[in-house]
Amino acid sequence: MESKTSSFATTGRSRKGEPFVWLTAAGLAMGVVLTLGLLGLVLLKGVQTFWPARISVMEVEGANGPEKVAGYIVQERDRRDLQGVEHEEIQIFRGNRELYGEKFAFLDRSAIRSEELPDDLVLVERMEGGHVIARIKAIAWADGTSTPVEAGDFTSRLDVLLKQTEERRKELRSIEKGEIGRNARRVKELRAQEKIEGKSAAIDAELAKLNEEFLQLDAKRNALRGVLSGDVFLLEAVDGREIQIEAGELLHVFHPNRAGLFGRVGEMIRRVWEFLSSDPREANTEGGVYPAIFGTVVMTLVMSIFVTPFGVVAAIYLREYARQGPLVRAVRISVNNLAGVPSIVFGVFGLAFFIYFLGGVVDSWFFPNSEEPVFKSGGILWASLTLALLTVPVVIVATEEALAAVPRGVREAALACGASKWQAIQRVVLPASLPGILTGVILAMARGAGEVAPLMLVGVVKSAPDLPIDGELPFIHAERQFMHLGFHIYDLGFQSPDSEAAKPMVFATTLLLISIVVVMNLAAIIIRNRLRKKYATSSF
Amino acid sequence: MSSPKQQAPDPKRFEVSKGTLLLDRVMTQVIRFGGLAVILAVFGIFLFIVKEIVPLFGGAEGKPGKILEHAGGEPLVLGVDEWGELPFVYGGGDRITLVSATDGSRTELEVPGLKDVKVTATAYDPVNRRVALGLEDGRVGSFVVNYTVEFPEEGVRKVVAAIVTEPWFEPGAGSGPVTALAYGDGGSARVLVVAREVGLAVVRLAQKRALVGKPKLAVVGTDDLTAAMEGRVVRVAASQNGQAVLVAEDSGKVRYFQSAAGKVTEVQVFEPFPGSPPLRMDFLFGGVSVAMTREGGEQKIFSLFRPEGSGERVFGETKSFEPLGSGRPVFAPSLRNKTFLTGAGGALTMRHLTSGATRWEGTAPFEPVLAAFDGKSEHFFIAAADGRLQGYRMEDPHPEAGWRAFFGKVWYEGGSGPVYQWQSTGGTDDFEPKLSLIPLIVGSLKGTFYALMFSVPIALLAAVFSASFLPMEMKRVVKPAMEIMASLPSVVLGFLAGIWLAPLVEDRVPSILLLCLSLPLSALLVGVIWCRLPMKSRRLFEGGREWLLLLPVLGTIAAAAWALGPVIEGMLFVYTDPSGREIADFRLWWPQATGLPFDQRNSLVVGFMMGFAVIPVIFTIAEDSLSNVPKTLTAAASALGASRWQVVRTIIIPVASPGIFSALMIGFGRAVGETMIVVMATGNTPVTSWNIFSGMRTLSANIAVELPEAAPGSTHYRTLFLGALVLFLLTFTMNSFAEILRQRLREKNKIV
Repeated sequence: MESKTSSFATTGRSRKGEPFVWLTAAGLAMGVVLTLGLLGLVLLKGVQTFWPARISVMEVEGANGPEKVAGYIVQERDRRDLQGVEHEEIQIFRGNRELYGEKFAFLDRSAIRSEELPDDLVLVERMEGGHVIARIKAIAWADGTSTPVEAGDFTSRLDVLLKQTEERRKELRSIEKGEIGRNARRVKELRAQEKIEGKSAAIDAELAKLNEEFLQLDAKRNALRGVLSGDVFLLEAVDGREIQIEAGELLHVFHPNRAGLFGRVGEMIRRVWEFLSSDPREANTEGGVYPAIFGTVVMTLVMSIFVTPFGVVAAIYLREYARQGPLVRAVRISVNNLAGVPSIVFGVFGLAFFIYFLGGVVDSWFFPNSEEPVFKSGGILWASLTLALLTVPVVIVATEEALAAVPRGVREAALACGASKWQAIQRVVLPASLPGILTGVILAMARGAGEVAPLMLVGVVKSAPDLPIDGELPFIHAERQFMHLGFHIYDLGFQSPDSEAAKPMVFATTLLLISIVVVMNLAAIIIRNRLRKKYATSSF
Repeated sequence: MSSPKQQAPDPKRFEVSKGTLLLDRVMTQVIRFGGLAVILAVFGIFLFIVKEIVPLFGGAEGKPGKILEHAGGEPLVLGVDEWGELPFVYGGGDRITLVSATDGSRTELEVPGLKDVKVTATAYDPVNRRVALGLEDGRVGSFVVNYTVEFPEEGVRKVVAAIVTEPWFEPGAGSGPVTALAYGDGGSARVLVVAREVGLAVVRLAQKRALVGKPKLAVVGTDDLTAAMEGRVVRVAASQNGQAVLVAEDSGKVRYFQSAAGKVTEVQVFEPFPGSPPLRMDFLFGGVSVAMTREGGEQKIFSLFRPEGSGERVFGETKSFEPLGSGRPVFAPSLRNKTFLTGAGGALTMRHLTSGATRWEGTAPFEPVLAAFDGKSEHFFIAAADGRLQGYRMEDPHPEAGWRAFFGKVWYEGGSGPVYQWQSTGGTDDFEPKLSLIPLIVGSLKGTFYALMFSVPIALLAAVFSASFLPMEMKRVVKPAMEIMASLPSVVLGFLAGIWLAPLVEDRVPSILLLCLSLPLSALLVGVIWCRLPMKSRRLFEGGREWLLLLPVLGTIAAAAWALGPVIEGMLFVYTDPSGREIADFRLWWPQATGLPFDQRNSLVVGFMMGFAVIPVIFTIAEDSLSNVPKTLTAAASALGASRWQVVRTIIIPVASPGIFSALMIGFGRAVGETMIVVMATGNTPVTSWNIFSGMRTLSANIAVELPEAAPGSTHYRTLFLGALVLFLLTFTMNSFAEILRQRLREKNKIV
């Protein structure tokens, strides 16, 4: 490696060991590429699920002669069969589960004879059975008349129908969940009361009244259902078979091949909004993730309500009040290390302590007559407390750092002005360290929002019928089980019966969860950098 | 300004208001209390988990009850009801004596049909509470003691016994009185083993459905085994299910007959104690193991298992226990688990078959001749020849637990040798949980090992580059980006590993191997070439921007390696199928070449994704310690003419090595406890092999999968807590050690 020229001649930098420098550079390059690649993959796959693809009709060589297949490409892959022959395959989404059994199909590229993009194909979303890809034929109205697709007023009548259906569905839901639910709850309460107090005329009378009320509501519900199933949407699949969708099932009709760029962007926005704001359907594989977002947010907020005061108090104690010595140093190291203890260990503790022990105590004190456990089963309160324990070291460490960063001079100035110790902390030290504390809390929330393993033990479920906060008294239901974005990913990806159909949903949820966590982290980093700048200028 | 009071300020001005002082005092107390409470609460986790585990290591507890009296005379059969409240004693006459355990009152029940007969042999089946009788005239029969609970008055509970007689049978083989008897009741098919003065017969019985009335017990067939015997039969035993029959001869030989498919066949002859026959021969719960006790108290366990390389299950010695001492041995198997009560000469011990542990020891106030457990293993009774009877209350909630069970090799019933095994739940009633934590710990370490294999090189190389060469403005972006990576939810990584990476990697293993090899080599090669380039072009990518140049190069190499993988596969990894056809497929080649399985969700995938979780952790900490090496040291080295790599190699890395080491340990801690990635990206089978192409089950994944189904307070539940404690201690000590190292380093660098 010794060159003719001296090392001083080469810009003062010797070549000795230069390849190793390149090796370390490769390490960094790989680290960065892997990180960005991972985020990019999630971003791409996540966005892909919302982007309305064009639907092509392909003529495929089948076992029984040529066959027409309509759908959009989900992925392309090369498969090697056991004979070692390479197949170029595409996986398409073809929908129409009632006709084909499967929503997805694999096609060999070599078997495709022709491909076209007819613009009269529609993608229909419905309540059950997944998407339909077909041509519209007509709407058969409940009164026996029908409007064919060629009719001039078809589009406007379809729009009216969709809107009406939406409203009726809402009404139906409010009857089912609201009034009938309330009725059923009251009946349950009365029955419990009857058990304790024995039969009484008052209870019997109210039960009879409730039963009558229920019969009325049931009749109303059935009438609405009848209206919803009256009109029928008629379609024809590309292979000529007919598909009927009752109006009550109809959610949305979209022409993917007719839409221009703006139309497709609009459709994408609509899908994103649906994803964020609606309830899941079809075993979580369609619809939205609103309950999971709600559960995640509520749990994280409740957690931060617990974790912030306790973490800050502990940190103030350690930094300002405790006598500094080997013991406090040992405690500090241990607290620091608790942040590295596996989260599942906290879950184990939460299950045993919060649910079985505390929950058991609460139940025996306040709900001695309840047949099912109320607090002695997983719920959002216990989950939040478990995560608060998990993240309290994060807040303690961050607050301690922030407190230590407040210059001595500031503190001494306050004390010299006659402030008591608490006054100095309250008026001077805490405000100065607030951004640091905030950073800690945000980091704790980000960690808490993404944690799944402990939640699996303390109350997360794949489908919760009710939100933990709603309009029913007492509004906040701390004992309810809840849905969570992270668990949603786990459940959809690994417990779903139709994992292929669940894939788009999982990628979308993943993108959402990652975005939340990354945004929270970015906020923490930005606040921290501001803090540093502030102290850089205000130091004495 | 011109006030006259100016020279003497009011001293009250400097007095602090009472409210402020009070608030200060209150806040001091509040913060002290709150702070200590939070810290104690956090450490309370540890104590609480320990509290849940402690019962696992407690032995059994036995409380003797009152000494009762049964009718005098030597008892032949001692039986106990399901609740341990009303034991009965049969002494060979025509009645049984029931003794109430609560008040000691005795009642007698007559057994019909026993008048004017002489009982010469008895056997007792504790599950059905059946007393089998052999008579002087060679007939055999049985009666069952049925217990029911009655509530004669509100709030009064009374256990009542009734006797159900069963028909008499002629064994139809041999002659003379019955000398030994055994009854095996497997539900539909039963066996009665009858040894007579001359001859031995196995009578097979079955419930025959009659046209009218109740099903009738009838003989299906009798096997005359007289010819198979060499010596005199001294003892017989039958397993509960009636499938295994053991016959001991006076020579010490024991013959094992199998009763299956309407046939009784001799399978094996063995000699538990050479030269002398066993004094007792008792099957344990499950009917797979038999305890042999010899004169003098020597006790051995023989279990049915398939020895390696043979297909038939035969008896083999699996355990031997300490001698019981002299005296007549007693024996009672638990009807719940694999514990049994034994003892001799007044000493009693409760032993556990699988772990070989002694659960409890006690001394009886008399020398018992019989012992029996109740149905729940909560009580047992002992009876003496002089008419005394005593009940014991046993509490042994976790008989299967113990250090040996969790961390040692255990010879489980039916296995062909001692193994480490985790299998917590099974389908049958007599299933025995296998609770070795070793496969889980090995699984955790295996996943961690492969994760570190992948992440350590990348993270450390990147940290060195970032700390030593990267320009400040790039570092300001790269470091926070890595920190964000550290907080990526692991469920996302797990999902990507299972759904995206596993199928992608499955048929591309050769490409992956090629990638691992070619990427570092090509980086080195680029470095070598770079040094040969003229100065002019080298100036373009000066100091710290090398990695940008490497991006396209490495990208090309990676793409090439990916594409070349199948070619390599065709050259090196060719599988030959049974018909002789050659297929280039790594997935098939690996099992053929190494004998190890190839799973789609394997350690390679887990290691790669877990590496993602670990890279940022190691990178951040290592980078910190590398950056904090005092500038004076590096500047001095540069001034002395060291090249930039020489500065890194001889100054920065050695000085920062404790920090790097602590980064590795914290990375280890993160990987060991990782849950979701492992749950989602492996098959979750507990294994103890280090095969990279198979899955594993880690401690953390095991908890996540099994704890929601474990009954609170059960052995399984507490064992999962033990797993959590192991995880806790492992990571906590690792992290503490790393933290101390780091603090030392910080102080050292301060001095420098």
